[in-house]
Amino acid sequence: MSLAPVQEEVTATGGDVAPDTPWITIVWNDPVNLMSYVTLVLQQHFGYSRSKAEKLMMDVHTQGRAVVANGTREAMEADTEALHGYGLWATFQKDD
Amino acid sequence: MARGFRRKGHGRNTTYAARLDPLERATVAGLMDQVHDLLDPPAPVPEGGDDFASIVAGLGMGVTVAAEDQADLDPDAAERDPALDRLLPTANRQDDEMAAEFRRLTETGLRQRKAAALQTAADALRGEDRLVLDPAQAQALLVALTDVRLVLGERMGLRTDDDVAVLEAAAERLDPDDPLGYALAMYDFLTWLQETLASAMLDG
Repeated sequence: MSLAPVQEEVTATGGDVAPDTPWITIVWNDPVNLMSYVTLVLQQHFGYSRSKAEKLMMDVHTQGRAVVANGTREAMEADTEALHGYGLWATFQKDD
Repeated sequence: MARGFRRKGHGRNTTYAARLDPLERATVAGLMDQVHDLLDPPAPVPEGGDDFASIVAGLGMGVTVAAEDQADLDPDAAERDPALDRLLPTANRQDDEMAAEFRRLTETGLRQRKAAALQTAADALRGEDRLVLDPAQAQALLVALTDVRLVLGERMGLRTDDDVAVLEAAAERLDPDDPLGYALAMYDFLTWLQETLASAMLDG
């Protein structure tokens, strides 16, 4: 696990999603992971701003889950694997 | 008395400093060793190597975390340690086949990376009372603390936010010798330590 600047860790997520790649990565709420830690992980892995990471973290906390990324199946599997590496409860699925 | 992590310096010279007494450091490092062995079980004793250990293993008396994990290596074994499911959760809740494929492709690598972080963190804790971690060590400790807390949480039945209140209420009525009280105190200590580290790293 590196501590590279977050700007270098941006993955294929966000606003440039093609219509034929409707896959998503979800983070589910759990009682163990700290709010500060989840925020830090979302910043480190996705390169999200502090405010975007905090908003997603609060969605996980209050709504039980949040879609943290979308893109190709391969990209969502890679995100899920990375988030499991951090100990977050992440899944990938087709966006129905 | 422990003092939580604080950020020192800038850029490449950033370090994260804390102070833990020898007992605290040994206890946390010991828990990291246990979770390490859960993810990366030590090789079984070879035939004829240690006769007594072989006999104990053969009798099924060697009930350890590592022994439980041996069953996990058998794909037909129904019994998988629930703590492993917390460390390596199901990646697709809608499609069992995709979840199985994901596990087949990722589990070995995830186990190795988690075990490596736990090893790095445990090694760092076995130094001086005054811990001064470089960013790579701090990152390893941050993730290792998560994995130890996930396993401890699972062992204590911490699965939903509601369980936290239930556990805290139960702790008030515990016998002083109940191991759950010790586990909960350790968990709270690890939570505090991780919070100080995550906050110090967030501010960077």
